[in-house]
Amino acid sequence: MNDDGVPESQPVPPAAPPAAGRVRVVAPGSQARHLPELTSVSQEVAEQSAVGEVMVRSLIRSQLRLSLVVAFGFMAALFIGTMVLRWVPGFSAWRILGIPAPWLMLGAGVYPVIGACAWLYVRAATKNENQYRDLVEEK
Amino acid sequence: MNPAVGFTAVIAVSVITALIGIYGLRVSRTTSDFYVASRTVRPWWNASAIGGEYLSAASFLGIAGLIMISGLDALWFPIGYTAGYLMLLFFVAAPLRRSGAYTIPDFAEARLGSTGARHVTSILVVMVGWLYIVPQLHGAALTIRTTTGLPSWVGAVAVVVIVCLTVITGGMRSITFVQAFQFWLKLTALAVPAFFILLLVTGTAGTLPGGPLPAGTDFFPPSDPLGSGSMYTTLSLLVALLFGTLGLPHVLVRFYTNPDGAAARRTTLIVLGLLSIFYLFPTIFGVLGRVFLPGLAKEGTPDATVLLLPGALVGGMGGSLLTALVVAGAFAAFLSTTSGLVVSLAGVISQDLLGGSVRGFRIAAVGAAVVPLVVALGTDSLALAGTVGLVFAFTASTVCPLLLLGIWWRGLTDAGAVAGMVVGGVLCGAAIMLAARVGVDSGWRDVLAQPAAWTVPASFITMVLVSLATPRRRSPGAARFMSKLHVPERPLAHPGPSR
Repeated sequence: MNDDGVPESQPVPPAAPPAAGRVRVVAPGSQARHLPELTSVSQEVAEQSAVGEVMVRSLIRSQLRLSLVVAFGFMAALFIGTMVLRWVPGFSAWRILGIPAPWLMLGAGVYPVIGACAWLYVRAATKNENQYRDLVEEK
Repeated sequence: MNPAVGFTAVIAVSVITALIGIYGLRVSRTTSDFYVASRTVRPWWNASAIGGEYLSAASFLGIAGLIMISGLDALWFPIGYTAGYLMLLFFVAAPLRRSGAYTIPDFAEARLGSTGARHVTSILVVMVGWLYIVPQLHGAALTIRTTTGLPSWVGAVAVVVIVCLTVITGGMRSITFVQAFQFWLKLTALAVPAFFILLLVTGTAGTLPGGPLPAGTDFFPPSDPLGSGSMYTTLSLLVALLFGTLGLPHVLVRFYTNPDGAAARRTTLIVLGLLSIFYLFPTIFGVLGRVFLPGLAKEGTPDATVLLLPGALVGGMGGSLLTALVVAGAFAAFLSTTSGLVVSLAGVISQDLLGGSVRGFRIAAVGAAVVPLVVALGTDSLALAGTVGLVFAFTASTVCPLLLLGIWWRGLTDAGAVAGMVVGGVLCGAAIMLAARVGVDSGWRDVLAQPAAWTVPASFITMVLVSLATPRRRSPGAARFMSKLHVPERPLAHPGPSR
């Protein structure tokens, strides 16, 4: 027998219905859901034409611009915070519920800012991608 | 401290880790399962797993220890550790997932079309991984010594043995479950004791063993060395932490397990939330440790603050239970980070040297864990958070420029990438080694001890200049690969007609 389950040497009568044959029962490789390869239609479209190439370039450019703007915004906020901490004299003495403001700011206050930047970025990046998709599908 | 408490906690965590690992084995059969969990892990699972893997000895023990030593300045560490994920989200998460590569060297080869660049990347990734495992093993040694009285090497060896067993039997699939569990264990292990201790300290319930706090005790003495670190040190540290995270091999390999680029972004968003909550607690431990265990910093073991504080403040049975919880959490931190690193290193080593088979992966896993064990046994523990900070500086000077320029700049060539990584790696390594030899009051000390602020730009500039000088070496497939990185996948909600 070879791998296909077809007898190798026995002649099969030509008129016979397809032999009841063997059904190969194969265990799935894993219980995990295997996803198909996700190369997208839009990518194929993009690669076929000069117009597609231009659209991909502009998508990359707008995503990069977005990333840089949010990243620099965050770093600027951090920098201004540090400056306030160091050079505004009253700030380090100021207490809320007994905890000095610098500790509150660095120990807890920075994290909501990080979260807000991340959330804004994900929203805008998804919007960029949706715009690209609409553009490609119109074509 | 009662050694039985430490033993019980360590054994319980190890057994639970092994059990989840074995459960994972039942759903992990193919090579693809072994490496990246078949890329079907849900964002919440994946985010918990990333948190579990990322929160290492430096986060669990090191931050509180550093607050004991340097006060307010230590808070830049958790900020940098968290904001690193922000940079990862902005520049790397979605494109890296779409690249379809298993490991960073895979990415380098696909993007640059060069096996030479691949090998250099592999060597650097393995170095980063080894350097990062060593402080985890130091942390394990400290924990075992402090809580059970056994010699230090027992802790390091125990971590390596358990990690090898889990990784060899289950691969990444089981690691995902183990890591996710360990994140929540770590969070609980800090949050619950912190809650009880705060109740005691604020006088809401119960009394402290040493009687009530003397009136006027100040948790934030005005003599605080407010911003005593130089501006340069803080800046350089932030550069290292912000840009180091996006080159960490065990973090990046996690992003391949997302179903698509958008899911990779969602996962990162959740990770940021989880980290933000977690990092509140080491800070609380550090602040209280300065008041109640001031001796630790003088004895040279400030990193033991988290382990000892619950036992010192909460008496009797409750204290023992809380201590057991904290020790379990600490051990989970060493186990999870080490196993994450071992998985990613084993992936790199086995694909480059051993043909990428499951058997090769297992052999490589043992190799990936044993080398840092030897280093850890031969060296002494420094401040954990500081050591890990240097690994971030090294990563930021080598792997980070490769990823950022590879993802966003068409002009990157293999020659440029290799030159940049070598320059960054050599400068950073040399600076750290020199820093140990320079006198404490030398003006160069800060610049050498915290080198990221100049080695990262040096690496970027070298990469760009050499790439511009070698335009003919641009990979012919680069344009196609770049569009694959950035073009969104077809949304899963609209399956194609063939299915």
